[in-house]
Amino acid sequence: MWDEGLARIEVSALRVRFGAVEAVRGIDVTAYGGRGTALLGRNGAGKSTTMRVLAGVIPPTEGKVIVDGIDVRLDPLAAKRATGYCPDVGGLVPRATPWEHLQLAARLRRLSGWELRAQDLLERFDLGGASHRVTGGFSHGMGRRFSVVLAAFHEPGVLLLDEPFDGVDPLGVEATQHVIAEAKARGAAVLVSTHLRDLAIEACEDALVLRGGTAVAALDAATLGGEAGARAYRALLD
Amino acid sequence: MRTGPSWTEITEGFADLRALLAFRQQGLAPAQRKRLRIAGLVLAGLTLVVIVAPAYVRTALPARSTGHLVGVLPSFYLGFAVLAVLGAVTSGGGRELVPREQAVAFPVSAVTEHFGALLLAPLNIAWLLQAWAILGTTGWVLGPTNLAGSVLPIIVWIVIATALGQLVGWIVEGVRRGVHGILVTRMLAVGAVAGLATLVLTGRFAPLLDRSPTVRLYLAALDARVGAWGAWALAVLELLVLAGFLVAAGMLPARWALARPQREELRLEGEHHEAVPNPRSDLIAMIRIDRASIWRSVPLRRGVLVLALMPGAVALAGNLHWSLVTILPGLVASGGALLFGVNAWCLDGRGALWRESLPAAPGIAYAAKVVVLLEVLLAAGGGTILLASFRAGVPTGAELASVLAATVVVALQVTAAALRWSVRSPYAVDLRSARATPAPPVVMAGYSARLAVGTTTTGLLFSATALAPNGAIAVLVAIPFVCWSTYRLLRTGRDWADPVVRSRVVAVVAS
Repeated sequence: MWDEGLARIEVSALRVRFGAVEAVRGIDVTAYGGRGTALLGRNGAGKSTTMRVLAGVIPPTEGKVIVDGIDVRLDPLAAKRATGYCPDVGGLVPRATPWEHLQLAARLRRLSGWELRAQDLLERFDLGGASHRVTGGFSHGMGRRFSVVLAAFHEPGVLLLDEPFDGVDPLGVEATQHVIAEAKARGAAVLVSTHLRDLAIEACEDALVLRGGTAVAALDAATLGGEAGARAYRALLD
Repeated sequence: MRTGPSWTEITEGFADLRALLAFRQQGLAPAQRKRLRIAGLVLAGLTLVVIVAPAYVRTALPARSTGHLVGVLPSFYLGFAVLAVLGAVTSGGGRELVPREQAVAFPVSAVTEHFGALLLAPLNIAWLLQAWAILGTTGWVLGPTNLAGSVLPIIVWIVIATALGQLVGWIVEGVRRGVHGILVTRMLAVGAVAGLATLVLTGRFAPLLDRSPTVRLYLAALDARVGAWGAWALAVLELLVLAGFLVAAGMLPARWALARPQREELRLEGEHHEAVPNPRSDLIAMIRIDRASIWRSVPLRRGVLVLALMPGAVALAGNLHWSLVTILPGLVASGGALLFGVNAWCLDGRGALWRESLPAAPGIAYAAKVVVLLEVLLAAGGGTILLASFRAGVPTGAELASVLAATVVVALQVTAAALRWSVRSPYAVDLRSARATPAPPVVMAGYSARLAVGTTTTGLLFSATALAPNGAIAVLVAIPFVCWSTYRLLRTGRDWADPVVRSRVVAVVAS
């Protein structure tokens, strides 16, 4: 159990460039333990790139990125141990089974006695019957659900979920919301990137709206609810 | 509603083919387009040289050598057709002009697929080398008199053989996609191998080759040389009609095959694999996932099996001596790398992002790719040598050392080159379809040419050491090669350790 309320993600002046393209242009993000933060914005706003930096998949071009007290640039392996990441696209090795994914994750994360937790998560996401089937044959929704399982599997201090609700059925959405609630209850910081505003509000207490690679607003997620919230959010996107 | 084949379908097929080629070309950077144009010119120039040069050096050679070649020339022509058929059959009906996952949004017809596969057939170093070999040998045997006329029937034969290969390739692919298709195609393959073995072992193989219908090809080429233009024109006309017929006939099995479900691919995607004990180390854990990615992929599984068996079968049929067996591991290793090694991270597919988010030193993921590629190349090379050994007799110490050294050296050489290309130029491919390749066709042609030149040169060097008085020479020759390849592997490993390089690779293969 972690201390609730501590800043588990501290990003300042983050810039990420891919050649001539600057995907992230000086974003600041702070996310606290025990709280969910929604990353909102249009396509190309920089949400997924920010997530990838936090997960240690992409190095920051400039800026400081601290995850659970660890500088991702200085100690990327420790940062990866502290995070659980559900990527926005795919996220699964197509010819490996869910159990093989879990075995690899458990080995590299030095988990022991993980099998019961894995089975429990698979059952909760209605994937128990598919745990030994290659993921290449999974539907999009099944793949998304299993990506969430992989991210939450080791009970990380920082849970990064990029588009976890995309194409997922109501039961899968419910299971994902439950995993997010559990993570927050443990004191983990949860970052959720999604285009589904209502689900973001349900999952998160804070919201950060990105536009063109920069943060344009940091607000209480609840303020984005209802008709007035929808209009305010719409205004922030343009 | 399906419609029957029509002339419109053919013209639209050509139009779609042009559109797909333009789509492919637009994906290239200006520098790549320039390189492609230069490569095309070089290939055309080389083809011209390969046709003309042997015709003029012929006079310097003893007549006996030419006589020997006249005897085997029809078999060479037949061999080209066999190669074209095998190429199309093993690649599930030929290569895709645009990968299935990219073409899914476009209504690409079976006719376009057929024409595309025909167009891509020459982008294969084995096809090119064989084509050059039969053109050059014909020029060598018949000399410079009326050379263009002598070579023309052979050029049309190359088209015929390629179209025939495509036709057979589609038929086999259609059968393979049937209810018991895998079983039927395996039985056909076993039957073909058993038939070949029977012919070889009963001594009826060579007499059968002497009665090959391709003898008429040689006679047509000879007609041009002696100025019998009437007979020559008739033969060329026959060949042209046959070529046109085969190209058109291929459309029917293409439509049939491509309309059938991809049963093997679907079966593999629905397959269950019971859990095995937890891995004892990080490296073993990584290797397991990579091995699964190879053996559960239709094109990779089939490719590895063909690589392990086919060159060995050729060695068996051709009764190759140990000093020539040294060339085979290079061919096998090049073929193995072209299955997936030249874009090794494509094994992870869209899981690359997740895998990169796991807390493991970059060197472990890199070592896993090196190990799985090396083991595939060594296992396939070992299978080839084993088959070749049945008829090559008892090797001397130098021959044995040379073959083993050649196998290890080319495996390392190819692995080092393939991993370098994998890190430098990754591509997003899913390797699901039997027709999939790990990189675009033009890039694959470049890779295969470079690998073939390197490994054949190495193989020839070890052919020379096989003639040495003892095996120590082969070992001594191998040492600098092993050191150089190890250095290259380590250098690429250092590049992979750079997070910027790594992020680019995983982002591309996962896209």
